[in-house]
Amino acid sequence: MEHVGKRYGDVPALDDVTLAFARGSITALIGSSGSGKSTVLRLLLGLEWPDQGCVKVDGRMLARGDVLALRRRVGYLTQDGGLFPHLTGLGNLALLPRHLGWNAQRILQRAEELAALTHLPPAVLGRYPAELSGGQRQRVALMRGLMLDPDALLLDEPLGALDPIVRHELQDELKTIFDRLGKTVIVVTHDLAEAAWFADRLVLLREGVVVQDGRFEDLRDRPACAFVTHFVQAQRRLPERSS
Amino acid sequence: MKWLLRMCCVLFLLPAWLQAEPVRISSKQFTESVILGEVARISAREAGVQAVHERELGGTSILWSALRHGDIDVYAEYTGTITHELLKGVAPDADIATLRAKLGPLGIGITDSLGFNNTYAIGMRADRAEQLHIRRISDLPEHPELRFGFSNEFMDRADGWPGLRRRYGLPQAQVRGLDHSLSYRAVASGAVDAIDLYSTDAEIPYYQLRTLDDDRHYFPRYEAVYLYRLSLERSAPAFVTALRQLAGRIDEDDMRRMNAQVKLQGLKDGVVAAEFLGVRADADGVGFWSRLLQRSAEHVKLVALSLGLAIVLAIPLGIFAARWQRLGQVVLGLTGILQTVPSLAMFVFMIPLFGIGTWPAVAALFFYSLLPIVRNTHAGLVGIAPELRESAAALGLPPGVRLREVELPMAMRSILAGIKTAAVINVGTATLAALIGAGGYGQPILTGIRLDDISLILEGAIPAALLALLVQGVFEGVERRLTPRGLRIEARL
Repeated sequence: MEHVGKRYGDVPALDDVTLAFARGSITALIGSSGSGKSTVLRLLLGLEWPDQGCVKVDGRMLARGDVLALRRRVGYLTQDGGLFPHLTGLGNLALLPRHLGWNAQRILQRAEELAALTHLPPAVLGRYPAELSGGQRQRVALMRGLMLDPDALLLDEPLGALDPIVRHELQDELKTIFDRLGKTVIVVTHDLAEAAWFADRLVLLREGVVVQDGRFEDLRDRPACAFVTHFVQAQRRLPERSS
Repeated sequence: MKWLLRMCCVLFLLPAWLQAEPVRISSKQFTESVILGEVARISAREAGVQAVHERELGGTSILWSALRHGDIDVYAEYTGTITHELLKGVAPDADIATLRAKLGPLGIGITDSLGFNNTYAIGMRADRAEQLHIRRISDLPEHPELRFGFSNEFMDRADGWPGLRRRYGLPQAQVRGLDHSLSYRAVASGAVDAIDLYSTDAEIPYYQLRTLDDDRHYFPRYEAVYLYRLSLERSAPAFVTALRQLAGRIDEDDMRRMNAQVKLQGLKDGVVAAEFLGVRADADGVGFWSRLLQRSAEHVKLVALSLGLAIVLAIPLGIFAARWQRLGQVVLGLTGILQTVPSLAMFVFMIPLFGIGTWPAVAALFFYSLLPIVRNTHAGLVGIAPELRESAAALGLPPGVRLREVELPMAMRSILAGIKTAAVINVGTATLAALIGAGGYGQPILTGIRLDDISLILEGAIPAALLALLVQGVFEGVERRLTPRGLRIEARL
């Protein structure tokens, strides 16, 4: 995205932000709430449109007519999973593929592959979201995002609503999955430790502006400004524990 | 929409039209009018003309407009009503020849007087009148404390209460509107002191009432006549001849006696009319159960058709309102306004558009069904969490699929609740449809009120209540079946 500005009413969300994400790279967007990190993902999916600047995908400017095709090439996972409560796990997975004309057998086969990948017992897919635990729900939601074998995964606080143990477990699993699939991944989190665990490249946002873009060590050892130091120090003890 | 309904109506009735069309006789919602309707029907039968009697179609304005539009062919009317209510620019005491000349250009014919004058009169309990020394209407101004109970029609008409008050300078302030069938009870029990009545009413001697002398000749003459469509002279000449021959044959005593036989002795109006004409009555072949079955079929038909049409229109309207919020408020507001139209008025408004019978009733009920369904569809869709709506969008589902597979199923529970509400309200409101000739459970209720017959009222009211319960139960079952299981589990947590 190039020189992107975005406002919600009077509130600026992003101000002249330029970011590029290379194919196959893993990037973490970090910052406090309201820093504009989720807005970046929403702009990339065409859920929002920039007020200034533009979003380009594969070098082409994103147009409104392209968004459906784009969204199918991208898996998107939010904090609460966004599973539809009226459908079973499998029903959620099948929704888009069925619309695209996949037959039941192909859908089932893909679901089984992904269940193996996410360590989810296939029987769980017969349950409704209300019958699943938080961790199971996020696994099913991740599978839904991966059904079409997309080029990229956008994750918005994917583990934000989970308790610490499940969260830790899923951090490990997600990392393995990212490494195995080799997809472009952008993960939004406010947790520096998690960001450093997933990604080589960290982008720290503050009030809609990119403050620093680099490796964890850069943020820690060569902070661009006092805010970066402050942000790192606030979570200082966590990276030591998890690494 | 109107066009579509008419089209349906045409298709529906086509088979009936292919047969010879019977003469349609009708009557107002009081016993004398119904008896005169039966007299006309039996006269037609005797003249070898096929005729049906669509009874108790409500008040003067409904019948007059139905006659003008050709929805009915004949009904009994009174000259005073014709001069005061139906025709413009006619002297109040115009004779029948003058009326005939005025009605002719409208395509309406009039017979000579049937032989009695059923004028309005003011009645009091004889003992009370005696006590207060009231014999004439001009005695009333001396008793401003008297309470009057007048039929609703009398309260409003030009030749009713407003004019009477002016002519006699009546000071009474306690004046209530009552249904005419109930007013005798009200005066007999002392709830009111004076009521309006018709001079041929059977109850006058029964309740020992005194009719006050109209000493300033306020009330015009109300000679009974038949009004009929002039086209009958071509299509059913034998019937018109028979109608004309009824002129001069029924005097006031005859009429009061027939009224008493039906209203006080509980004889059937058809039997009384046949006996008067000196011919055999129709075989009374319709038992309670087959009557109930027929009315149930009529009632269910009204509810089902109106509800079906409402669902077809209201769900898209609700979707529209949820998607375009601002225009949506207009849609919700408009359907809300429809709901505030009093139900009886709604039925009457439909007559100029659809005539009388099933279709105007279906149209009125249809309008009543819109609001609950539109509002619940709107609420169900608007109530979906924004994250879920966005999650469907982010998946890459096109808007149509999102609506069909995600949003509507999630709003299903609310939509079904709206349909259930509409259905239950419809079952109740449809009882009024009998007033415009659509039958159903309202028919015995109307007749029961007219004849002051509680068991007849219950014959309509109990099945209507049972049907409402049944509809409620059925829709709850449907709701349980159609609400996705995942939503029920979610609701339990």
